[in-house]
Amino acid sequence: MNTNSINMRKPDSPTLRKKTEPYLYLLPTLLLMCVLLIIPIIMVIRYSFYDNVIINKNPVFVGLENFKLIFENSTFVVAVKNTAVFVGGSIVFHMILGLAFAVVLNTKYLHRRTKAVSRVLLALPWMFTASVIAILWKMMMNPNGVINYLLSVANLGGSHIEWLASRDFALFSITLINIWAGYPFYMVSLLAGLQGIPNDLHEAAAIDGANVSQRFFRVTLPQLKPIIISLVMLDFVWTIQQFALIWMTTGGGPINATEMMSTFIYKLGFSKYEYAQASASAVILLVVCTIVAIFYVRHQRGQE
Amino acid sequence: MVGENKWYLKAFAIVVLIFGILYAGFPVLWMFLNSFKPNARIFAWPPVWISEKFSLDAYMEIFKDPEKVRYFINSYLIAFVVVVLTIIVSILAAYSFSRFDYPGKKIVNTLIVSVQAVPPIVLLIPYLSLIVTFRLHNTYGALILTYMLLTLSYAIIMMTGYFNTLPKELDEAVMIDGGSRFRALWQILVPLATPGLLAVGMYTFMLSWNEYLFALALTKTNDVRTVPVGISLLMGQHAYEWNQMMAMSVLGSLPILVLFLFFQRYFIAGMTSGAVKH
Amino acid sequence: MLKLKAVHNKSLAMLMMALLLVLTACGSNNASPSGTSGSSGSPTSSGSSGSSGNSGGGSDITLEFQQWWGVELPDGALQEIVDGFTAQTGIKIKLLSNPYADTRTQIAAGAAAGTMADVVGLDGSWVYDFAKQGAIANLTALMQADGYDDSQLSDQIRVDGNTYMIPVVNFAYPMYVNLDLVNEAGVSIPANWTEFVNATKTIKEKTGKAGWAIPLSTESPSGIQNNFMSWLWASGGSMLKDGKPNLAGNADLIATLEFVKQLFDNGVVAQGAYAMKEPDMVEEFTNGRVAFMTDSLAHLTTIKSEAPDLNIDFIPIPVKDGYTGKSGMDVANWGIGIAENSKYKAEAMKFIEYMMSPEVNAKLAVLANAFPGNIHAQPDYPADNTLFLKAYDIYQAGYAINEFTGLPTSEELMRQFDEQLQLYLDGDTKTAAEMLEKTQEIWVKAFK
Repeated sequence: MNTNSINMRKPDSPTLRKKTEPYLYLLPTLLLMCVLLIIPIIMVIRYSFYDNVIINKNPVFVGLENFKLIFENSTFVVAVKNTAVFVGGSIVFHMILGLAFAVVLNTKYLHRRTKAVSRVLLALPWMFTASVIAILWKMMMNPNGVINYLLSVANLGGSHIEWLASRDFALFSITLINIWAGYPFYMVSLLAGLQGIPNDLHEAAAIDGANVSQRFFRVTLPQLKPIIISLVMLDFVWTIQQFALIWMTTGGGPINATEMMSTFIYKLGFSKYEYAQASASAVILLVVCTIVAIFYVRHQRGQE
Repeated sequence: MVGENKWYLKAFAIVVLIFGILYAGFPVLWMFLNSFKPNARIFAWPPVWISEKFSLDAYMEIFKDPEKVRYFINSYLIAFVVVVLTIIVSILAAYSFSRFDYPGKKIVNTLIVSVQAVPPIVLLIPYLSLIVTFRLHNTYGALILTYMLLTLSYAIIMMTGYFNTLPKELDEAVMIDGGSRFRALWQILVPLATPGLLAVGMYTFMLSWNEYLFALALTKTNDVRTVPVGISLLMGQHAYEWNQMMAMSVLGSLPILVLFLFFQRYFIAGMTSGAVKH
Repeated sequence: MLKLKAVHNKSLAMLMMALLLVLTACGSNNASPSGTSGSSGSPTSSGSSGSSGNSGGGSDITLEFQQWWGVELPDGALQEIVDGFTAQTGIKIKLLSNPYADTRTQIAAGAAAGTMADVVGLDGSWVYDFAKQGAIANLTALMQADGYDDSQLSDQIRVDGNTYMIPVVNFAYPMYVNLDLVNEAGVSIPANWTEFVNATKTIKEKTGKAGWAIPLSTESPSGIQNNFMSWLWASGGSMLKDGKPNLAGNADLIATLEFVKQLFDNGVVAQGAYAMKEPDMVEEFTNGRVAFMTDSLAHLTTIKSEAPDLNIDFIPIPVKDGYTGKSGMDVANWGIGIAENSKYKAEAMKFIEYMMSPEVNAKLAVLANAFPGNIHAQPDYPADNTLFLKAYDIYQAGYAINEFTGLPTSEELMRQFDEQLQLYLDGDTKTAAEMLEKTQEIWVKAFK
């Protein structure tokens, strides 16, 4: 980091000031992150190379041993698979629902007031904390809960479906819950993006003879591309460490049907007290997300 | 859009809207209804929509308890401060990313995005130790700083994105007139990026309001605790206070609802008040 | 102009920092008026808990007591009890509460960061690991230093020969019966496993309701301890031998497994078992959808208040056919311990002795619907609570048992058993013997 505030007082070479200017704008962010975030992360990375961390006052250096143990752990493999499904499904449907609703909320075919009210209603899932959402859906997905009741009334369900308790349904169910909980974020961001697209573009396209769907795919979507990519990438990073929702609905079960990286790490750390291995798993997650971040940044630079 | 008025588009919009409202609203409605039932009727089968024993007890319990009211006050205070600080800090950082090119920019950018990747639960122990070292344990400051950390990443990304859509000519216009970059930022760019700011602000508020893990870990006494922790405290070892939990969740979501209602006007205003390109 | 810009940038940065600092300071002031939170401790992170705060000089010591019990007791009851201690000794007690589900995580993190309270409520399944972590203090030494007669304690949880936790009150797990369902189906109360199988089958056929329930959520696998092993212990069985796992080849366990599998195969077990937690099971019972349930006696009040018309009773847990010995009854408990890095261990020990004293212990037991941890305590249970007294009688006719207390990574052991059990119940693992072999293999790793 290159801040040289003392030089700033002197009315000297513009180049020096120009050089440090961008860094100054970054200063508060960097300060906060370096101190409160980087340090713990470094500590966690450090833990991953030792054994018996926390439990033992004098942990032993073991190199890559922890990582080896993790990769050999069969539950880890299952967790990765489940996480992939969970994250993939969530991102896709977040995008579909978010885009669909954002478009509808931006359309000229609805009255302004309708849109205003709908905006709020459609964003409702976003207003609740993860543990509340977990409890609420657990209540609804109870074999004797309201969802099965509605299904039985509509003659759609067989006998009571065990949404969260059966190995066949559990992963599907929690992905469903996560989709519900997370699409408003997409919706709001995309809506703001849609409203930022100047009308002239649409008009020009219409004049050129494009119909609605052509306008959508050739004008709207490309304009939204930067936002979409940001959203996907962010959602990836966030969903991959989603914990509270899964923990409070299924705890990673039945057996390991809904075991995710996050629950896997939690159990390692706070149930088996293997903090070192938990740290190692976290480092693996960090590496994966860093790779995604690198791609994102590359993409951003390509845009400029 | 041009003046076509295809009826099927309108119908499509309405269908999607109705589906969406049911999809989003039904669980919330269920939560709302359950906050008026006595605990025993919550799991009745067939499900009870409005119990004959309809009662406001759950809500009264919350209002009557100064500790629970305090949770709301704390949540408000912290969320508000976090929003203000995050917006300011992220605007600065986003400006840096959007308008400048310098060594290390790519690395810092990557860093900012990927640091969110470590599951908070793993960071918990070293982070807690750090907070204790700074003597911030059990203070508002700890939560404010923590939430800033959690939201800055997204805020910076979004603001950078918005700034990127605003042409550099705007800045240059100000500078040619003798203004500083700083002025260009605050007088021109920020007002134009208002929709983005609002999205960031709302997201930050919500994350701050709804966060649980650190709110619990960094606090010890109930006078600093927030609503999510308050809700969890209703989950005893042996029994849950379902109706109070639902009531508290309903009450907890009200401020955000209000914010939404309020900010909507600004969304529209922001859209009409400034065309991005001339 | 140029200078102005430089000043702008710099001053903004300074404004930032100033703002942050101000907030931090504000935060500390707002948050700890009595100054007893850990932030006023020493700057090193091995920190202090329960520092004496700034409530003036002199003898004012304040102990922090972290627990989840307050929520389970009548409003203000716990405060009243600890005030009694203050009246006696002048030492103040500050009650801190954590949600039960997160208490273990909070203690683990708090121990590592030095923010633990002086006195902590503990569950028996956490003791071994916290003792090994060095989070909790050796109570044997403290009791000896105080000359405390520990023979009055019904139990002490030990690790490597030293006590780390004392059970304050015990929650027994008798078997609840929904008499309405039993009568509707026209069955009689089962006394052994065969009768239980038949009774539940009939109940399911005649009423459509579940005969039994077990919470097997892997998030909170206490169902293994409280609902599954209850069968084993009631018939005099044991899952350990000399404190080490004795699962493989354990005939009693094999029989128990096959018995439970039969219940599942007969379809008499309440649905959603694999995602059910204890409170969920209680909800099912309260709503009249389960006939027999092994559950904590502490729920009696809740069930009675939520479903006053429900006709319930307690019965001795049905035993294995032909078993005639005494029945072990599962107990969970509210335990208490002292933080290793507390500065006031001696005073904390005094507080524990107070909580364990016959009168106080008895009072707490009555309030919590539990049994006292002090064998000399004479709880004054309300005489009109005939059901509770019946359960007490059943409890006293047998013996208290919980083999999971004090085992290494207890909760994880329960979880692993739970997962293997689910595989067996679903048919993935073909025989009970196989299931036990697998589980033994996994368990043994924790005991090295």
